[in-house]
Amino acid sequence: MKSNYKDQLNVLIKLRSKIIRPLLFLTITPYFFFIGVIAFKPEMFSPLIFDTNISLGIFLGLVLILLIFIITLIYVYLANKFIEPQISAIKNNE
Amino acid sequence: MNKLILSILLFSNLSLATDGNGGNNHISIIMFILFVSVTLFITYWASKRSSTADGFYTAGGNISGLQNGLAISGDFMSAASFLGISGLVYLTGFDGLIYSIGFLIGWPIILLLIAEPLRNLGKYSFADVVSFRLNQRPIRILAACGSLSTVILYLIAQMVGAGKLIEILFGLPYYSAVMIVGGLMILYVTFGGMLATTWVQIIKAILLLFGATVIALLVLFQFNFDLNLFLNEATSIHKKGITILSPGGLISDPISAVSLGLALMFGTAGLPHILMRFFTVPNAIQARKSVAYATGFIGYFYLLTFIIGFGAIILISNNPAYLDTSNTLIGGNNMAAIHLADAVGGEILLGFISAVAFATILAVVSGLTLAGASAISHDLYANAFLKGKQSEKNEMLVSKLATILLGILTIYLGIIFQNQNVAFMVGLAFAIAASANFPLLLLSIYWRKLTTRGAVIGGSLGLFSAITFVVLGPVVWVDILGNSSPIFPYKYPALFSMTITFITIWIICTFDKSENGYKEIKKFDSQYFRSQTGIGIDSKTTH
Repeated sequence: MKSNYKDQLNVLIKLRSKIIRPLLFLTITPYFFFIGVIAFKPEMFSPLIFDTNISLGIFLGLVLILLIFIITLIYVYLANKFIEPQISAIKNNE
Repeated sequence: MNKLILSILLFSNLSLATDGNGGNNHISIIMFILFVSVTLFITYWASKRSSTADGFYTAGGNISGLQNGLAISGDFMSAASFLGISGLVYLTGFDGLIYSIGFLIGWPIILLLIAEPLRNLGKYSFADVVSFRLNQRPIRILAACGSLSTVILYLIAQMVGAGKLIEILFGLPYYSAVMIVGGLMILYVTFGGMLATTWVQIIKAILLLFGATVIALLVLFQFNFDLNLFLNEATSIHKKGITILSPGGLISDPISAVSLGLALMFGTAGLPHILMRFFTVPNAIQARKSVAYATGFIGYFYLLTFIIGFGAIILISNNPAYLDTSNTLIGGNNMAAIHLADAVGGEILLGFISAVAFATILAVVSGLTLAGASAISHDLYANAFLKGKQSEKNEMLVSKLATILLGILTIYLGIIFQNQNVAFMVGLAFAIAASANFPLLLLSIYWRKLTTRGAVIGGSLGLFSAITFVVLGPVVWVDILGNSSPIFPYKYPALFSMTITFITIWIICTFDKSENGYKEIKKFDSQYFRSQTGIGIDSKTTH
């Protein structure tokens, strides 16, 4: 019983980091890429895209806002679907 | 309470009498009085439910994920960010977007790393979490210092902004504006606690989202919702032309860029009034949901400010009705959204937006005051000085006294900082939150080897260095104190102060071989178990 309990906890911790790490990466890298371009090579954001009046910087900025929201949605979805059942299993075992 | 409404009516009559520029004030004053009446009624209703500590600090823990998401976004959509960011977009175009994204990027961090363990370990304040397995007294004192400095800096910035805004919108003198805001805030918080503060925040968030949506739709309507045409018009009107679509001069050197980026990214996860909101939901599932809702609302709101800023370039930057003699906007660039409301929606929309701006200030300062009061009563008084041996009744009394004290202090500081540049204060608050509050919270949850000694020394150094670097930096040392060159060369300290915090904590904890340290490390496993599963939280929240 006790070892089973510990196994379940380990499964939970591994599951959580499997979900959290890629999402964390997906949050931090694009943001620092965005900030990095502004700091080191701002002219990279100037060109207008697809024959419109929307610059690459504004386009990517708006995409980044959307991405941030989507990341939170993905996490809530994954956490409710995979993490919660694992927590319930531990609770029932207790 | 009736007396207060009466005095507001009196004040508004006064302002009507002194107001010379048309009737728009009538609508905004009626709307504002409606808002104040409704919120005071809520405060009265909430007062019956806020008599226990749990009711006062966490609204009984019964707020839903959606409600909390709205309240969190309300905390974040301050008048400063509504008017400030749309003003920045109006002035610089693209650079406004850098701030919007910076304020948003903290949310996934909170969601992925902080929200659930915070809910599972804490009760009323984030110091509950940090001191969970560490020595209560020193940790509580440090966390309270971190909370109070963030809260007070934020409050000063909000208050000074409020006074000036209300002066312009309603024609009220600065002093009475500051006193009305301070007075109402004290009423909401002392009588209604977290429940009233949350509902004030929710109502205001809905009103602000609604108002901003209406402005944005009316603007886009004029361009048949064609974003291409819209931006084309803006670049042809703005004097900087096409360059407003690409990075301007907001961030010039890489170190400042990374430093500002870090402060915004991790600062949000160290703001006590935001962290406190996670104790108002019943469990980690709702805490998680509330961040997703909040991120959606805030992200949407920043898209609106972006449209509003560009809309203002097109519709008001050439309209003499909104410009003063030197061809700048009447009341400054931060008035862009307000003038735009008038331009697209006439005096009804102008009145509505003005009232919402006032309501926004009230709601935000209330949330801040509550967080500050809980740091004083729960962390300093109840746990650090009386070591948890006091009665709940006493703690409640202290929290109400602390609210009144903070309210008076805020009014006082609002008055003495009237003519100072306070824009740097929110930046400093974020730097402190990222360099002291956030590292303590993160490491206490995830790092087994964190001991009291390391946390106290590292956290204090982070707090101290963030403040010192800002004071010796270009903004305070040169611009405000008038010295010729800064001692610390960068505007944003977070890169340096965060590094100091993390390295100090790491070194001290690695060499901490004390018996207490050993005991604290041993308690990590059970704390980690609870932070991951939430098992144990029910027994702690029932009294």
